[in-house]
This record gives sequence, structure tokens and C-alpha cells, in this order.
Amino acid sequence: MSESGWQVGIDIGGTFTDLVALLPSTGDVRSIKVPTQRNDPVASIRAALAAADLSAESVDDLVHGTTLVTNAIVEDRVEPVALVATEGFEDVLDIGRAGRQHLYRLDLPPRREAQVPPERRIALAERVDFTGAAVRIPDTAAIDAVVTQAQAMGIESIAVSLLHAYANADHERAVGAALAKAFPFVSLSHQVNPETREFERTATTVLNASVMPIAARYLDRLQREVKGARLHVMHSAGGMASPDAAARRPLSMALSGPAAGISAAASVAASLGLEKVLTFDMGGTTTDVCLILNGAAEISTDSKLAGRPVRQPMVAVESIGAGGGSLVTLGTGGLSIGPQSAGAEPGPAAYGRGGTRATVTDANAVLGYLDPAKRLGGAIALDVAAAEAALAPLAARLGVGIVELALGVQRVANAAMVRALARVTVERGVDGRQCTLLAFGGAGPMHAVGLAREFGIAEIVVPRFSSGFSALGCIVADMSYTQQQSVRMLSTGWDATRFAALHDDMLAALMAPLHSHGHGADEIDVERTALVRYVGQSYAVEVPFAQPLDLDRLGRDFRQRHHEIYGYATEEHWEMQSLRMCALVARRTTFGPLGIPGEGAVPTSVNPCWFEPAAPHQTPRYDRDRLPTGARIAGPAIVEDAWSTIVVPPGYTLSSDAMGHLWIREDAR
Amino acid sequence: MRNSVDPFTVEVIRHALTAAAEEMSFVVMRSARSPLLREAGDLSSALTDHKGDLIAQGRDIPIHLGVMSFTVKKFLERVPAERLRPGDVWFLNLPEVGGNHLPDVKAIRPIFLEGRLFAFAVSLAHWGDIGGAWAGSYFAAATETWQEGVRIPPLRLFTADGIDEEKRDFLLANLRGPAEREGDLMAQMASTRAAEGRLLRLGEEHGAATLRAALDRLDDLSEAQMREAIAGLPDGVYEGEDFLDDDGPNGQPAAIRVRVEIAGETAKFDFSGTDDAVAGPLNTTPFVAMAAVYYAIKAVAGPEIQPNGGCYRPLEIRTRPGSILEPGIDKPVVGGNHETSQRAVDAIMRAFEKAVPERLTAGGSTTAGLLIFGGTRRDGAIGTFYETHGGGEGARTDRDGAPVVRVHLTNTMNTPAEIVESEYMIRVDEQRLRRGSGGTGRHRGGDGMRRAYTVMEDGLSLTTMFERRVIAPYGLQGGADGAPFRVTLHRAAGGSRELSGKENLALAKGDRVVMETSGGGGYGTPAEEQAGE
Repeated sequence: MSESGWQVGIDIGGTFTDLVALLPSTGDVRSIKVPTQRNDPVASIRAALAAADLSAESVDDLVHGTTLVTNAIVEDRVEPVALVATEGFEDVLDIGRAGRQHLYRLDLPPRREAQVPPERRIALAERVDFTGAAVRIPDTAAIDAVVTQAQAMGIESIAVSLLHAYANADHERAVGAALAKAFPFVSLSHQVNPETREFERTATTVLNASVMPIAARYLDRLQREVKGARLHVMHSAGGMASPDAAARRPLSMALSGPAAGISAAASVAASLGLEKVLTFDMGGTTTDVCLILNGAAEISTDSKLAGRPVRQPMVAVESIGAGGGSLVTLGTGGLSIGPQSAGAEPGPAAYGRGGTRATVTDANAVLGYLDPAKRLGGAIALDVAAAEAALAPLAARLGVGIVELALGVQRVANAAMVRALARVTVERGVDGRQCTLLAFGGAGPMHAVGLAREFGIAEIVVPRFSSGFSALGCIVADMSYTQQQSVRMLSTGWDATRFAALHDDMLAALMAPLHSHGHGADEIDVERTALVRYVGQSYAVEVPFAQPLDLDRLGRDFRQRHHEIYGYATEEHWEMQSLRMCALVARRTTFGPLGIPGEGAVPTSVNPCWFEPAAPHQTPRYDRDRLPTGARIAGPAIVEDAWSTIVVPPGYTLSSDAMGHLWIREDAR
Repeated sequence: MRNSVDPFTVEVIRHALTAAAEEMSFVVMRSARSPLLREAGDLSSALTDHKGDLIAQGRDIPIHLGVMSFTVKKFLERVPAERLRPGDVWFLNLPEVGGNHLPDVKAIRPIFLEGRLFAFAVSLAHWGDIGGAWAGSYFAAATETWQEGVRIPPLRLFTADGIDEEKRDFLLANLRGPAEREGDLMAQMASTRAAEGRLLRLGEEHGAATLRAALDRLDDLSEAQMREAIAGLPDGVYEGEDFLDDDGPNGQPAAIRVRVEIAGETAKFDFSGTDDAVAGPLNTTPFVAMAAVYYAIKAVAGPEIQPNGGCYRPLEIRTRPGSILEPGIDKPVVGGNHETSQRAVDAIMRAFEKAVPERLTAGGSTTAGLLIFGGTRRDGAIGTFYETHGGGEGARTDRDGAPVVRVHLTNTMNTPAEIVESEYMIRVDEQRLRRGSGGTGRHRGGDGMRRAYTVMEDGLSLTTMFERRVIAPYGLQGGADGAPFRVTLHRAAGGSRELSGKENLALAKGDRVVMETSGGGGYGTPAEEQAGE
């Protein structure tokens, strides 16, 4: 049995559950991957702990990244809720923003239908104006009537979203207090998302309410399972939160899984002193990319999940529907990759489980990148002939050889990902070519160099634990709480007293869960971001600032950022649209050097691999776990671990550092 | 010349070009000043080649996207390529220069690769005011284009040295809300610069010759796809018509007629049977008619085809000089852009009902549903609140219509009530579904909505510009029509009246304007519905 004091990170993905554990007293590290038990996440955690030979008693801290909330939303398995809205605005979810998603598709519904059906919408006669002044105060009888109506609906979770509640929440609080006596789950819009635009705020609040019962039950069960260990969950902004806080605002876990990977990436980027990093997490069906500047992931507060608005602080991950298992199709419009995928069953043809349709992985198999002698994760045997058979009809139709097609599939897949990389950098005014590409996930390391070349990036890092990176993210994440709130104050009419009150209230709310966890003020860092715009703009530029606020400096920083992003700036006055704050307790998890001794790298085998259509290269293969510190390998080369394959084409050189990270750089030309 | 670029490079370039066009719209939406752009998204972006043929477009507004290529081609007739320089940004809005109406101002930047003109980036944005007789520049009684606002011929507003301040000031002096307009034009300039950066990088990477070869290949692919799509429609001659409600406060319905001939892989659209030009601002340009055809054929036959210069080669489109769709340059056109254009689409859809009813939706709110409140904003600046209103979508053979959505040629968004109230002297009293407004049928049309505005100050003006008040959204295959639009003005001083779809009037504090948008048409006879239950 192991000794106590382990810090454990567990990420439950769709196919695999990853665990990374560290015992700080000795520096021992364990890293494990077990199949996810689809309908029983708690059992997956139990299995991962058992596989790592860790008992519940030996674990001090367990941090968990989960797709529970994500999947509930994406698969539409959320709980029914009722909505309390200002009278006259009960149909806000039907009206939305009136746009449609597809310009030319008459067959598809223009957008997702309202989450709350008409019979569960409750009107409350009340009104607050945009300044926060109460225009019509709801009387007790009206509030009681709301509770009575809701009780007849047979639901356990309720969302309350009143007009302009971000400016004055008194009415929401009054209704919330009355509802709390009758219902276990109440979501108030000014708590979930205190920002302007009624549709987005209401939709976000309703979505939160609809996952609340699911999250509460799960977290409760999990806490019992891990007994005395301190349990935390990853939230979408890349930090960890207490189960209580997560249960109150479960929508904050909507991107828990990807955020854990980004948290690991941010930590690695900071430890390596990399200023600009693009993450590249390619899985079986999707690829996620995210920009990390100065060791911090970019945060978005205006995203959508499965067609529903989610206005919560989330790592700004751009996701595209192309991964290793994505199908390659050829129409009159040309070659395309995804979004349909071969799924886990039958999977790519190369996996020999009956798949016959060409996928990206099949192209990799044809090019020789996957080791035919090895079994993926010790289980899946490679069938190159099946991969060739799957690609052959497409090659014939295009009039090219199979190898040429396979190389083409790689380029087309990369082109879609380049678009995603461009989006996350353009929005920040960053030249993506100056970034380092950090590749992880199952297929990320295999495609990293090709993608980097297509985008113009010269340096790639495949970090230690790259195939269990989200689990690593769980144990390096800071404990943090983030909130964003509408401010709307002009630089020419600055009300320092009002701003200070708003700032202090928000700070107190963010600090409360940290204090209750025993963290003193001296341990807590606060990050402040002003969302600033010119008067008349709708979208704001993020400008970090420190207290006490220096208005002139904020204005200067704003103009500079505006110029970086849009290419121009004027000397006009500006407006602070919103304030975002993050209170965090840094978790200074450190890993010792990997320090694998040895002279040079020794290949385990040599196989032909194709990097250009003319001829294959005899390409040595190396075992990552036996690659000595400081090894340098000139491409072409393949480096493998149990779960992923790193491709180093000719013209690139790989080197391993003391921490176990692998660097791939373009050779000087 | 042999087309030697490999199919994979073509795909890589296609992605890059589309990304560039999408980035342009992002820049305008994020940095522009008028709510019409930043909240409603009434803007579009495109890239054309050096001749003006479309090479990529954003995910924007079909009516805009359809005219972009004509804008550049007509621009080149006035401004020969020899006069263009790197760093130029030309602004224009003339309807006869491949345009649609005066408020839609286009910024055109020539892009040079290897020292030669290679492409144009075009940013189109609807300016909240372009001058003229009435705030918001929708003058309902207009009988001439010159009453509708400032007419901007191709004007080199930016050079490599920066903005020409005299030209800018001349322009802004003629517009209401100059500060807002200046912010908008800077945003358009910035968006074309972003596209230029993308194209220069592509040029460095692939070289102009490879890029050109890829564009030719993409054109050919789209053409082949469009031919295949048209071949999938049954051959024949199909006629369709639809009617404008009126062209002004006392106007009469006027017909838009189309004769569609599908023959193998080609399609002809002949609008010659359309009524003569009307007196009021419901005329439009032949370019808008073509944009309507482009939209309709894509929606009916090939929604996933990449739109570019090749895509529309198999089409032949004819309009008749002197008709509503080709009225001559002196005629007013401001409403025709989004009203008459939708009539053209509806006429085409009615024609296709005889060929492929299962592919169509019944009539929807094919109108901007526009209200413009002119006056002073809360911050004291002059500003117009320009709001389009969506209605119910028509039903289809396999589903009900959606409630409150923009259909066909438009896809602008609404302005949230919380934004309206915080920026304008207007209160939004309610916005709810207009229940029962969708037409009945085997599948029901979507419901429209009801939004009520109360004016909080004296001195505001109101403009209406909407259709489907007289002629209701049609049912298809026996489905019932949707409820028509209704806008009612309740005066604070007492009395109410229903407003027509083309009016300018003054408002007083306490006046209430109630907008009820149309429901969608039903699909299939209700009798079938009963039989099926």
C-alpha cells in the first residue's frame, strides 16, 4: 500500500480516464490511463486509483476534470427547469437574437429551440431600469404567486432572470429567497452572469439551472467515494474550485476537461519561460487550440456550447470537428476532412475492427508513421493493408497515388487547423508565427510539425505527460474563482466611489470561498481585467490593471491594445464596459527532473516513412521512455510512447530536456 | 495555360481565403460604432480577384454578398486599374456602380502581389445615416435618388499615406451622427487591411501564379457543382409572382414576376414580366435582382457550394429596363434593397413550388420589418436607432417553422431591449411571441413576435419600412397564410392608428409604437393533419 500525501489529478475523457499523481515528499510520480466507464464516472475514478495502486486513504488532494456537464449539454440530457422572467419578456428564449445559423440551408432549423417550453415560463410584474432604479417593485403576493405556479410544474430547478438585474438585483434576490424555501436548486441571473443583453444572460442562467441537479448529485457521490481526500474540480477558466462552489454554478464546469489541458499547458509555458504559446490538442474527433500569453490562457466570456450561449469565463479554446478518426470525403467541391468521424467503433480502417472508410489515421498508417509491429496502448493492432484499401478509391478518383493522397490528407487536415490557429491569434492581435506550438493529446504530436510548417511556426514542444496532459493540468492548476460584471462607466464621468464599491463587493464574493477554505489574504493573488471600449462600440478590449486604478494609464493601455488588434486607435474618451476579476491561490506543484541517463538515443527499429511523394525515407523509431536527457535526433525520426507518436520529418531536429519535454525545431536553412 | 496546382494546395488556399473574409467581418463588428453594425451585424465582407470575380465571402448577409462582385466590376469601369495603388481604400455607394442602396457603403482596397494587382477586399457596411431628407435616410416620399442621401462615387479616402482629411470631412458634414460614421468607416478600412495582410502572406507562401491557378480550379469546381445541382432539378418552365404591398403611404401592390427555365445543367431567370418602376423608394437595381437569384438557386439546389466566380456561370438572368428591377439611375431605391429583393426571392420560390415543393419553406417574414427612431441618444449625440424585426419562418414538408427569425436574403440580429433602453430615449415595454400568428397546416408556420416601444422624450422621429402588411406570408401546398405585419401607433395625446409600411412621422413623449411581426405560412392542408392523427 502506498504512503499518504499523494496529490492526484484525474481527467475523465470520452474514451480514456487519465491519472497523474505526485508524492511531493519523495518526488514520486505515477501516470496511468484506463478506459472510461461511460455511464459511471465514479467507477472510472475508482478504476484509475486502483490501477495506480493508490487507496482513497493515501490521497491528500484529488482534483478532477470532468466532461459530465459538457456531455449533459451536448447530448441534451439536462434536467427540466422553469424560468421566472419580467412580465412581457417570458418568451426571451424563443426570440433570441433572431438570426439563423445557416445562410442557405432551408432544411435545417434556424437555431436550437428554446430550452424552457411555454408552459414553464412564469411572468413576474416588476421592472428595474438600466440605471438600476426600481420602476415597479414586485409585491409579496406576486412573489408568492410565482412560487405557487412553480410548485405545480413538477420540477426541482428554477432559473430567475429579470430585466436589468445586472444593474440592480434586489428583485431577483427577493424572488430567489422565496423560491429557495420550496426548491433545492435556484439559479439567479445576477449571480450566474451579471452582464447586459437579456437573451444571453437568461439562456446562460437557464442552462446553469438545468445542470445543477446533475452536478450536485455527482459531486456528492464523488465526495463520499474519495472519503477524507480534499476534492476539487476543474472549472472552465482553467483553475480549480471547491465542490460547493461548483455545485452552485455548475455551468462553470462546462469546459472542465479542455480547461485542465490548458492549465497544464499554461504551467509548462510558464516553467519554460515561453511568452507566446499555441496549444494543439488533437483527439479522435475534434481538435482544440488555445492561445497562452505569458503563462496565462486567454479567457473568453462569450461562447456557445451545442448552439446555446454560455456567458461564463472559459479558456478561449477554439474547437474544430477534425481529428484522427475524422472521415476523408471527396465531393465535387474537393477533398474534405470531418466533421463526420469513424467513432470509436469501428474506428479507422487501420485499427482492423471493420472500418472501411478512409480517415486521417489511415493516411498516417499508409505513410508509415504508425509502427506496424506495435499495438496502440498494447491493445490495437495496426492493419496497413486495410488503411490502403480505404484510401485507394479516393486516390483513383483524384488520379493520384495513395502516398500522394495520404500526404494531401495531412495538408488538408492541417489547413482546417491553421484556420483555428489564425482565429485565436487574430482576435488578440498576435502574430501566430512567433508562437511556440505545444502539442498534446492522442494525435497532436503526430501532426504538430506538419501544422507548424503550414502555419509558419518554427518551434514545437511535446511536453512530458503529453498523452495524459489534462490529468497533469488538474494537479498543477491554481485554485481560482473568476467573475465578470457590467460596469458601464465613462472615462469623462468617472465615479470613483461607485467603482470602488463595485470592485470591493465583487472581490469579497470571490474571496469568500477561498477564505472558507482556510486561505488567508496573503496567499491570495487577484488579477483584474477591465473590458474597455470606445463609446458606441459593443465589443470591448481586455486591459489588465492594478489597484488603485490609474485612469490615464488604463486609457493608454486600452488605445495600445486597440491598435494592436484592429490596426487603429483614436484619442477619444472611452468606457469601461465590464470588470473581470480572478482571485487565486497559486498551487506551486513542482516536478523533479526526469533525468534519464545514457549516451545517445538508440533506435528500436527502422522503417520506411513517406514525407514527400517521390520516395520514402528509412526512418528510425525511438522509445520516448528510454530517450536520454539531452539526446538530439535529426529527422526523419519517429518517437513513440504507449499512447502517441511524434513525427519528426526531415529538416527538423528533436531534443529532449532534463524535465522530459521534447523540443522540435526547424533546422537552419 | 495548364492548370498545374495540386488539389490539396487548392483546398489549403480555399480555407485561407475564407478565413480572410471571415476575419474582415470580425474586425468591423468588433470595432464599429453604430448598433446596426455591432449589435445587428448589418455588414458583409468579400474578396474578389483583379477582375471583380468573387473568390471568398464571409458568413454574412446574402443580399450584400450577391452584389459585391458587381460593385468591383462596375468600379473598375469608372476607375481603371492603372489608377490603383497599394494602400488605397476607395469608398462608394452609388446604386448604379454595382450597388443596392445609398446607406450600404462599400470600402474597396486593391491588393497587389508581386507588383501586380491581384485582388480586392470589399467591406460593405450599412451606415445608420447617409444624409437626405429624413433621419436614418429612409425617406418614404422620395421620388428621386437625390432625396435619399449623399451619393458617393468612387472616392479614394485612404492612400498609403493615410486618410484624406478634406474628403472625409466633406463626407461627414453631410451625415447625421458624424462621430459614429467616422468610427464605422475606420472599422471598414481596418477590415480591408486585415484581408490584405492575409493575402500578402498567402502570396509569399505560394506565389501569385499558384494562387491564380488555385482560384481558377475553385471556380471550375463550383461551376461543376452548380451544374450538377441544377441538373438535379426537373427540366421545365416555371412561373412565379409575388407582390409588393405598396411603394408609399398611398401606394398600390406591384408585381414581381419571374419565368424560370431549367434545361439540363443551366437555368434562366427572366424577370421581364415585372411591373414598371414605381414612384416611391421600392425600386431596386438589377444587381439586387441577381443577388436574389444567387441566393435562391443556392438555397434550393446547392447550399454547400462554395460561392465564387464559377458558381453562377450556369445561370442567365434578365431584367427589363424601366421595370422595378431596372428602373434607371434617377429612381429612389432605399427600401427596394431588402424589400423588393425578398419579393424576387419569393417569386422564384413560388415558381419552384411547381417543381420541388419538398425543398422549400412556406412564406416567411421576407421583409426587414424596419423601424427607425431618429433623434438624440442618451449621451447627447445624434443617433438613429435602426431596428429590424424578425417574424415566423414558413413551415416545411418535414417540420414546423421556427418562431421569430430572419429568413432568406437577410440575417441581421435584433438589438437587445437592455441595450435599446440604455442607449436611446426609448423603453421596451414587452417583447413576446405573437401566439397563433403562424399559419396552420400539416406543419405550422412559426409565430411572429410583438415588441412595444414607448418614447421617453419629445423630438424623436419614426420611419417604417416593411412589407407583408397587405400581402400575408403564403402557405405552401395547401397550408394557411401567416398573420400579416401590423404596426400600431398609440399617441400619448390619445388616438391610435395602424401605420403603413412606408412612413415618416414625428413622435412625442409617451407615444407607444407596437410592432407585431408576421407569422410564417403553414405547409400542407390542415385536413391531412386531422387525417394523420
